[in-house]
Amino acid sequence: MDEITLQIDGREVKAEEGKTILDMAKSLGIDIPTLCYHPALSPFGACRLCSVEIISRGRSRIVTSCNYPVEEGLVVNTKSPDVIELRKMLVELMLARCPNVKIIQDLAKEYGVEKPRFKLEDEKCILCGLCTRICDERIGVSAINFIGRGVDRKVETPFQGTLDIDLDVCLCCGACASVCPTDAIELEDTTNKKPIPILSEYNVGLESRAPVYIPFPQAVPNVPVIDREKCVHFVTGECKICEEFCEPNAIDFEQEDEIIEVEVGNIIVATGFNAFDPSPIYQYGYGRLDNVVTSLEFERMVNSAGPTEGEILLKDGSHPKSIAIIHCVGSRDEKYHEYCSRVCCMYSMKLAHLIKEHSEAEVYELYIDIRSFGKGFEEFYNRVLDEGTIFIRGRPAEITDIAETPEEEGKLIVQFEDTLIGRQRRLPVDMIILSVALEAQPDAEAVARLFNISRSADGFFLEKHPKLDPVATMTDGIFVAGCCQGPKDIPDTVAQASAAAAEVLAMISKGRVEVEAATAVINEKICSGCQICKLVCSFSAVDYDEEKKVCRVNEALCKGCGACVGGCPSDAINLKHYTNEQIVAQMEGMLV
Amino acid sequence: MARINSNTELEELRQEILSKRDQNKPRIAVCAGTGCLASGAAKVIAALKEEIKKQGLNADVDIKETGCPGFCERGPIMVIYPEEICYLQVKPDDIPEIISETIKERKVIDRLLYTDPTTGEKVTHESEIPFYKNQKRLLIGTNINIDPKSIEDYLAIGGYRALAKALFDMTPEQVLEEVKRANLRGRGGGGFPAAKKWETTRNVPREPKYVIVNADEGDPGAFMDRAVLEGNPHSVLEGLVISAYTIGSHEGFIYVRQEYPLAVENVDIAIKQAEEYGFLGQNILGSGFDFIVNVHRGAGAFVSGESSALMTAIEGKVGEPRPKYIRTAVSGIWERPSNLNNVETLANVPLIINNGAEWFTSIGTEGSKGTKIFSLVGKVNNTGLVEVPMGMSLREIIYNIGGGIPGDKKFKAVQTGGPSGGVIPEQYLDTPVDFDELTKLGSMMGSGGMIVMDEDTCVVDVARYFVDFLCDESCGKCIPCREGLKHMREVLNNIVEGKGNEGDIELLEELSRLMTKASLCALGTSAANPVSTTIRYFGDEYQAHIKESKCPALVCKELVSYYIEPSKCQACMICLRNCPVEAISGGKNQIHVIDQAKCIKCGVCFDACPTRFGAVIKISGEPVPASLPEKERSLVRGKK
Repeated sequence: MDEITLQIDGREVKAEEGKTILDMAKSLGIDIPTLCYHPALSPFGACRLCSVEIISRGRSRIVTSCNYPVEEGLVVNTKSPDVIELRKMLVELMLARCPNVKIIQDLAKEYGVEKPRFKLEDEKCILCGLCTRICDERIGVSAINFIGRGVDRKVETPFQGTLDIDLDVCLCCGACASVCPTDAIELEDTTNKKPIPILSEYNVGLESRAPVYIPFPQAVPNVPVIDREKCVHFVTGECKICEEFCEPNAIDFEQEDEIIEVEVGNIIVATGFNAFDPSPIYQYGYGRLDNVVTSLEFERMVNSAGPTEGEILLKDGSHPKSIAIIHCVGSRDEKYHEYCSRVCCMYSMKLAHLIKEHSEAEVYELYIDIRSFGKGFEEFYNRVLDEGTIFIRGRPAEITDIAETPEEEGKLIVQFEDTLIGRQRRLPVDMIILSVALEAQPDAEAVARLFNISRSADGFFLEKHPKLDPVATMTDGIFVAGCCQGPKDIPDTVAQASAAAAEVLAMISKGRVEVEAATAVINEKICSGCQICKLVCSFSAVDYDEEKKVCRVNEALCKGCGACVGGCPSDAINLKHYTNEQIVAQMEGMLV
Repeated sequence: MARINSNTELEELRQEILSKRDQNKPRIAVCAGTGCLASGAAKVIAALKEEIKKQGLNADVDIKETGCPGFCERGPIMVIYPEEICYLQVKPDDIPEIISETIKERKVIDRLLYTDPTTGEKVTHESEIPFYKNQKRLLIGTNINIDPKSIEDYLAIGGYRALAKALFDMTPEQVLEEVKRANLRGRGGGGFPAAKKWETTRNVPREPKYVIVNADEGDPGAFMDRAVLEGNPHSVLEGLVISAYTIGSHEGFIYVRQEYPLAVENVDIAIKQAEEYGFLGQNILGSGFDFIVNVHRGAGAFVSGESSALMTAIEGKVGEPRPKYIRTAVSGIWERPSNLNNVETLANVPLIINNGAEWFTSIGTEGSKGTKIFSLVGKVNNTGLVEVPMGMSLREIIYNIGGGIPGDKKFKAVQTGGPSGGVIPEQYLDTPVDFDELTKLGSMMGSGGMIVMDEDTCVVDVARYFVDFLCDESCGKCIPCREGLKHMREVLNNIVEGKGNEGDIELLEELSRLMTKASLCALGTSAANPVSTTIRYFGDEYQAHIKESKCPALVCKELVSYYIEPSKCQACMICLRNCPVEAISGGKNQIHVIDQAKCIKCGVCFDACPTRFGAVIKISGEPVPASLPEKERSLVRGKK
């Protein structure tokens, strides 16, 4: 392609054919203001802010840089007095139309426009056409467009939404609102569909995220992912804006999920826990009453990297004056989980501490028993007491917003029995945190089956022996660590994980596996290939040989339990050292 | 009708048509153009047909419903051949007399002739009427001889001869050269050399190429293209096919306003006939050249007359100008090379091919060749279409052809070029009218609108009218045009309402500069012309409005008060009875007085007061004299 040499603000630059003045000015770091320009959309030339003065073929004139193609010998002045004067007046006209729009106010400041000499309006939309172009060119639906001519021009939906027909062209993708420089588009008013925000999984739905996003700040690898279900490109085949913006060309729409098979000798299962969903506890009002939040949601809220940047806020945006933390939500409760979740007392106290640190709010902890058994835990309990957190012993019966006294008006009221004084009490507060239980992952059953490990009655994975072998499982080479085995705090988790790692290392360094002496053996001559043994084996130790149509025992896995021996209908299986003949002989010996 | 397959066949057909026509047979041509139809031509034609039938003259008289010859002021127009007797303002009641006197007896009816206002003499023949005599009607002069729905009529006056010449005797390069030498400039407004445009499109190495006729004539008060398209559609088609042949295009569009139903109808018929005869379609006249034409009806948007907006509209999108640093000649409809010419430009092409560039360049001025049609309207005696050679002065057009200003009023200004044009004051009346001279004055030729204003016209009000028009007709895409016009209107509204401020003129000038420099399309860059030229030539009138709250032309309602001159009032009670708000008190023999507090300035009293009294006057910029005390109001009449 031919190279073109042109001059911008006295600097020479070489450009490819088809580039615009704006492209080249950008490459030189020369700032030209734009409003209706977007690198992913076709140039529109409506705002005229990017006007520059050019000398082309000996003639000087003013053109818009966003769409003027470079030409050989072109001389461009991006800041000539004429250009500045013209931009200033454009900004003045814009400010008269949109005096309350931030981006226009900023431009006005930049160009020294204080008060427009024209009649002021109060529009938000500057009619730059970014929304209509993105909807047409990128989303490919044209659900909004301009209507009216001249001074009556505005952006509208088909038939201004007045016709009672289902105009379902709008994908409700929000591209229009996202590209609008003046925040003039409220998605709710633009579409007849209900906009459903994509909630951030990491911030437990407290804020929304884009279809392209970095899952969470510490994610490994720390790169964005595309949500294929929400991404417009995967829905319509259009858009692809991100591809245009990504300078290293890292976006690959062709990428597919792949399953990687790795052969390993040991596996540590560390699938973690699930936070209990308190919405089934109707009387606590979670999901029904505003400002009843779970401990995890609150955790994100007080986090300085969270959606409110660490500010504790009520739904209406104000700061709470009092907060109650309710312990054992879903734990120590026959209806949900009988067990103690072990971490709630301490994290509740941590939250109380953080609230005291971040705000002036009064904090109440409603507990059954305080279990501060770890190292330094009791000391922390005392510190929180000293900080002024009020501990009340009693499990709440109900949380309501129905006030009985004027003081309760507009508050959430916790109804409970204070078991230390033996009296029914009502506690009005602004916000309630439910310290939810830790429970087994919803897919624990499937995982257990996959690894052939057992689960205890509470749903967590079962260790081989609670005291003597707490990280191994009944299947050799499979270990468990962390909350998938049972609720525990971070120190315990780390300890257990280290133990599991040590077990694995021990296996690896040994370089061999000790097998049971008494393993089952199948007599292939008798075996009919019915595979009943395979079904009854709890340790996945039986394989079926497709070629020979017989079953075979993997001695490394066999525990010598004998289940297959008893199950075999053709008596083809024997346990080494415990053959039928040997046992019969032993019995005969005893009876003689 | 079998398709014509060669030049010889065409000439044979022409001879056949001509031989069938008896030049001495009485022929009554009645204008059936939109202007005359509006003044009742349809009834005249119906009466004519009926009368002829009644008198059994069907075989002896031909009736021709023709296109517009231009003298719309005096429609319906009738010309009777072979004598070329021209009757004006013919009514259905006149028909029996015309048949019995003029047709049968060959006698002229004086009453229906044109009367020279200065000498009082009757003028019998069309060509002798000063309105026509001073014109050079190359394009619309034949309209009265043609029934636009009949291709035979067009062939009879030599139609499609230029096409045959181009196709058989000339190469496209030669045609291009001829048009280039003729220096034919675009009649749509810009005055860009047509051949240069053709050449650009021709040289773009991409197919297909399109040729387009711009018949989206939207200027208020302009109807030149309508008259050509309605009256002689084949001339435009012929020009279009020649341009397509030159450029190498095989498909064309005629973009015509939906508001021109008769033009649409006539063009549709003309295309059908041209296809039948082999002037359009495959293998035109057996030359091997193929070309088809589509009619695209505009949806009533002024801005669609702008070339890129028009092409966007043909694509089926909203007619909105595109940023066009790459010209439409290179990348137009569907990003294909597209050549756009105005109706009148193309109608000139057959003339150039037939008569040669030398002949064409002999007409007109140094930079502007040929003739130009203007629609002469406003405060002028002879409104209508006027075709004159380029370079005729404004004075000649307005006074010699237009017959001057009605009611002996004083000429004030003429607005040329429609909403994009400017206002030209009296001192420039002797300016020769061509592309370059008008541009020098801050106005433009435009498509040829010419609105004459007399002393009773307020130029600020006129500027406001055009700005108001453009506020509605701008597409609204770019900020300088949309927002600039809006605020211009606001400021002008304030001025005409007497709320103008010091600095308003400067603000208007600043806005004008911005719009001219920064707007996206030609509509925007020229939109400020009416304002900037009125400020340039009539700045004192703006000043009077702002500083003295005075409208010198006594037009702006808010600045005008009505007052009854006590010495002139004859207490006739006419104004008193007509006043809709009972603001006038008085009675029999009681001099009437207007209560200024009640007066809504509707002007009814002013119009109602008999001219022989002229007691009601308008006052602007000065206090209304105090009302006569009650006691002194009784009228003392002079002796009869």
